[in-house]
Amino acid sequence: MINIMKKIDVFLLLSVLGLITLGLVALYSSSYTAMSQGVGTNYFLKQLIWAIVGLAGVLIIYFIPHRWIYESAYFLFGASLFLLILVIFFGRMGYGAERWLRVGPMVLQPSEFAKLATVLAVARFISQDSVNLNRLKDFMLAALFIFIPFVLIVRQPDLGTATVFVALALPMFYWAGLKGDNLFLIIMPILMALASTHYYAFLFLMIVLVVFLIYSQRSKMILIFNFVANIVVGLITPFLWNHLKPYQKNRIIVFLNPEADPRGAGYQIIQSKVAIGSGGFGGKGFMEGSQTQLRFLPEQHTDFIFAVVGEEFGFIGIFLGLILFCILLMRGVNIASVSRNRFNGIVAIGIVTVIAFHAIVNIGMTIGFFPVTGLPLPFLSYGGSAMLTNMAMIGLLLNFYKNRFEY
Amino acid sequence: MNLSGPDIKKYVFYISIAGVFLALSFGFYRLQITESSFYSQKSIQNSVKMITRIPVRGNIYDRNGKLIVDNRPAFSLYLIPSETTDHTIQVISKLGNIPEKDIRDKLRKAGNFQLVKIIRQVDMATLTWIQENIVDLPGVEWKSEPKRHYVRTSGLAHLLGTLGEVDDRELEKESQLEPGDVVGKKAVERAYDDILRGSKGFKFVKVDALGRVVEALSTDKTAEPYPGDQLFLTIDLRLQAYADSLMDGKRGALIAIDTRTGEILTMLSKPDYDLSNFTGIIPTDIWNKLLHDPYHPLYDRACQSAYPPGSTYKLVAAIAALNEKIITPSWSTDCPGYFQLGRRTIHCWKGDGHGVLNLAGAIKNSCNVYFYKLGLLIGIDAWHKYSKLFHFGETTGIELTNENPGLVPSREYYNKTYGENRYTRGMLANLAIGQGELLVTPLQMAQFVSILANRGTLYKPHLGYKLLDPVRKSWKKIPIRSERIAGIDSSVFNFVLKGMREVVDGGTGARATLYGIPAAGKTGTAQNPHGNSHAWFIGFAPYVNPEIAICVLVENGGSGGHVAAPIAGAYMKKYFYYEGKYDYSVERRIREIAAKRDSLRADSLRALNVPEPDTLESD
Repeated sequence: MINIMKKIDVFLLLSVLGLITLGLVALYSSSYTAMSQGVGTNYFLKQLIWAIVGLAGVLIIYFIPHRWIYESAYFLFGASLFLLILVIFFGRMGYGAERWLRVGPMVLQPSEFAKLATVLAVARFISQDSVNLNRLKDFMLAALFIFIPFVLIVRQPDLGTATVFVALALPMFYWAGLKGDNLFLIIMPILMALASTHYYAFLFLMIVLVVFLIYSQRSKMILIFNFVANIVVGLITPFLWNHLKPYQKNRIIVFLNPEADPRGAGYQIIQSKVAIGSGGFGGKGFMEGSQTQLRFLPEQHTDFIFAVVGEEFGFIGIFLGLILFCILLMRGVNIASVSRNRFNGIVAIGIVTVIAFHAIVNIGMTIGFFPVTGLPLPFLSYGGSAMLTNMAMIGLLLNFYKNRFEY
Repeated sequence: MNLSGPDIKKYVFYISIAGVFLALSFGFYRLQITESSFYSQKSIQNSVKMITRIPVRGNIYDRNGKLIVDNRPAFSLYLIPSETTDHTIQVISKLGNIPEKDIRDKLRKAGNFQLVKIIRQVDMATLTWIQENIVDLPGVEWKSEPKRHYVRTSGLAHLLGTLGEVDDRELEKESQLEPGDVVGKKAVERAYDDILRGSKGFKFVKVDALGRVVEALSTDKTAEPYPGDQLFLTIDLRLQAYADSLMDGKRGALIAIDTRTGEILTMLSKPDYDLSNFTGIIPTDIWNKLLHDPYHPLYDRACQSAYPPGSTYKLVAAIAALNEKIITPSWSTDCPGYFQLGRRTIHCWKGDGHGVLNLAGAIKNSCNVYFYKLGLLIGIDAWHKYSKLFHFGETTGIELTNENPGLVPSREYYNKTYGENRYTRGMLANLAIGQGELLVTPLQMAQFVSILANRGTLYKPHLGYKLLDPVRKSWKKIPIRSERIAGIDSSVFNFVLKGMREVVDGGTGARATLYGIPAAGKTGTAQNPHGNSHAWFIGFAPYVNPEIAICVLVENGGSGGHVAAPIAGAYMKKYFYYEGKYDYSVERRIREIAAKRDSLRADSLRALNVPEPDTLESD
C-alpha cells in the first residue's frame, strides 16, 4: 500500500474518480426523464464510455517517459494550432459559433486540446534556464505562445474558452519566476478597468498603486509610465463602456442583475439559482429535483450540471464536490512543488490553473457569481473532448508524481 | 520555510485555492441554507400551476319559476404565448375581429406558458374550422365556457343586461376576479353578479418547463367550483312578454309594480335588442347598427332616461296645495282656454276652455289653467318640498346601476341658473303642470303612483325575488323594504285618489278602463324640445285595496290619454286575467252592448238630425 502511494498520487486519483462519479450520477438523473420517454440522448452512457476511454488514456500517459512529453510539446502545440485553423475552414456550427471538427464518427473540439498543448509549449519555453520572464523580451515571447491560440479561439467566437488562455499565463509565469512586483504591475491595470466606474474603489486602487510604486525601487521612467498607464486605463474604460453595442451592455447588465430580464438572458441563471437554492441542505433526492426533471434548468448536462447536484443532493452534495476539487487542485500544486523537473512543475501548475479556472467560473456561474460563459465543469459536464483533455491532464500529473524525483 | 523559494509559491496557491473555494461554499451556503425557503417557493411556483375552474353561472327565472336565462355549452379560444406564431395571430385576429396589436399586447402581458383568453365564446362552426386547421395554428387552445342563453329575443335586454370580460377597475375592486373572467356588465347580471357568479374551483397540476401537465396534485387548496345561485326575479315573464307586444314598434317604457310589496312585475324599455348577439363576438354590423340607430336602443328608457312628466305631475301640485292648506278642494277658478301671465299668454290643452272648475274637475280634465294658477299660489319652496317627499330628483335605489336621478329644480337651482330672483313666475306655473326644467324617470313615476295607491306607504321597487342555492337546495328570500311618507293628511290622499278614479272613469284616462275592476290614474302629455309630445299614463288598480301600479311612457307618442292609457289598461287587464279576476268575455259583452247602444243612438240622432257629440277628450 505504502509502495503504491509512493508511485501513485492516490488522493488525486480518488478525487478525480469521485468527481467523475458525481458527474455520472447527475447525468443519469438529468437524462432519466427524457430517456424513459424514449426521446433524448443517453448522456450518461456516452459520458461513461468517454470516462473509460479517458481512464485508458490516463494509464497510457502514466507510463510514457516524461521526457517524451517535453520533447513533443512544440509538436503538439503546432498540431493544435493546425486543428484550430482547420476549424476556421471546416468548422461545424453550434450555438452560433464554429467550434467543432468532424473526424469520422466523432466530433472534436480542438480548443479543448489546445489548452493542454499551450500549457506544454509555454512550459517548455519558460522552463529554459536562458529565459528570464522578468525581462521584457522573454516575457513578450512567452506571451506570444498564449496570444496565438487565444486569437484563433476568440474569432470562433468562443470568448469563454479564450479567457482560459489568459488565465493560465500568470500562474505559470509566477511559478517560473516572474517577480511578485512585476505581476502586480500586470494585474493592476485590469483591476483599474474593473474599478473605473466606482469612484471610491478607483481612488483606493490609485492610492495602493502610488504606495507600491514609491516603495518599489524602479527607475523614474517606469514609475511614471505605470502611473500614467493606469490612469489612462481607468479613464478609458467608462468611455469604452459607452461605446459598447446595446446587446453587449445588456449581457453585462443581466449578469449583474439577472432579474432584469427573467425571460431572456437572465433565465438560465435564475433557474439555476432556484434549482440550487431549493435543494436546501440535504437536497430533494436522486431523480427527485423538479427543476431538473421538469427541465426548468437549462443546459443541465453541460453548463449547469453542478446545479443538478445542488438540487438533488443539496449543500451536502455541493460541499462534497467542492472538497473533491480542492483536494485535486491542491494535490496538483503539491506535485508542482515536489517535482524536481522544472518543466514538469510548470506544466503541473498550468494544468491546475486550467482545471481551477474552469471549475471556479462554472461553479460561480451556477450561483450567479459569474456570467454565463459556456465553460464546462471538468469531469462532471458532458463532453468527450473535454473529458479526454482533462483525463490527459490527470495522466500527466500522475506521471509527474511518479517521476517527481527525476530531473 | 523559505519565503522567496518555491514553498511560498506553493502556499500562495494553496491559500488562493482554499480562499476561492471557501467563497464559493459561502455562496452555496447562502442559497441553500439561508435563502432556501425562498427558492423552494420559487421552485414550486415554477412547476406547480393552478388551474382555475369556472363555476356555472346561476340561471335566472321569473317569479313563477319560469326560466328566463340559462347556459349553453360554448368554447373560448386561448393562445399560449410561447408557441404562438405570427401566422396564428393573423388568423385569430381575423376570426375574432380583434386588432393584431391587441392580441400581441395581451400575450406580452402574460407568462410564456400561460393560457391567454383571446376570443370569448366562438361558435361551433369557427371551432370546427380551427380544429381542422390546428396543425397550421400552433399555440391555439380552447376551453369549454358556457354562454348565456335567453328564452326571448326581445323585451329582456335592458332588464337583464350583458356579460363581458372583467376590466381593470373591476379587477381592482374584487380580489377573486382574474383577467379573462366574465362578469355581469349591466342591469340584473351586474347587480347580482356576485351571487350568480358562484365560486371558482382550483386544481393544481405539475407542469414541465414547456407547460405540459406531468401529473395532478392534491393540496388543501384544491376545490371544486361552486355554482352560482339561481336568481328568481320579481318579473312575471308572461306579463313582460305581453308588455313587449303592447309596446312593439314604439319607443318608451312600461313599468308595473306590485303595490303591496314593491316587486316589479314588468320593466320594459323599447326599442331594445337581442341579448344573444352579445354572448360572444358581437357581429360588427349588428353592433354598428345598434350604435348608430337614431333611437338609441342601447339606452334604458325605464330608469336611465329622464323626461318631463307633463300633467301626471299635477297630482304633486294638488297634494302640496291641499296638505299645505293653500286651498280647499272647493277652491274654483275659471278656465277660458288660456291664461294671461304678465305679457305672456299660456294656453290650456283644451282650446275653448273648461269653464269654472274645482280641484276634482281640474284633475279629471287635467286643466292647465287651473294648475297654472295653483302653481303660483303654491310657490317654488312648497312645490319642491313635496317633490322631494315623493323621492323625485333622486334614484329609487333599485338594483340597477346607471339609474338617472332626474331633476327637481329648487329656488337655489333657479338662483344659480338664472341669477338671484331672475326667474319668472311663468317658470313656476310651468312646474305645476309638469313642464319646465323638471325631469323624471318612468321608474320614479311608477314608484310615485305606487305610493299614492298605498296612501303614503312606499315599498321600495326591486327586481330580486328569491335565490336558490342549487347544491344545498336552500332558498333565500330577498327582503322587502318599506318606508312611510310622513306628514301627508289621509284626507288629502282620499281626495287626490278620488280625482284619479275620476280620470279613468270618464276623464282623460278613460281608455285605461277595466271592465269590472275600478282603476285610477292620471294622463300626461309632456311637451318637449325633441318633437311630438311624450305620452304618459300612471295608474293603479283596483281602486280599493290596490294590487298593481303602472307607468307607461311612449316617447313622442302624442296624447297620454290616447296612446299611453290604452296600453296601461290592456296591461292591467292581462294582469288581473292571470290573477283570475278578469273576464275578457264580460268585457266583450259590455263592448257589444255599448256598440249596439251607440249605433242605435247614432241612428236616432241622425234621424233627429242632431250632430254627434265629441268623443272622449284627452290630455
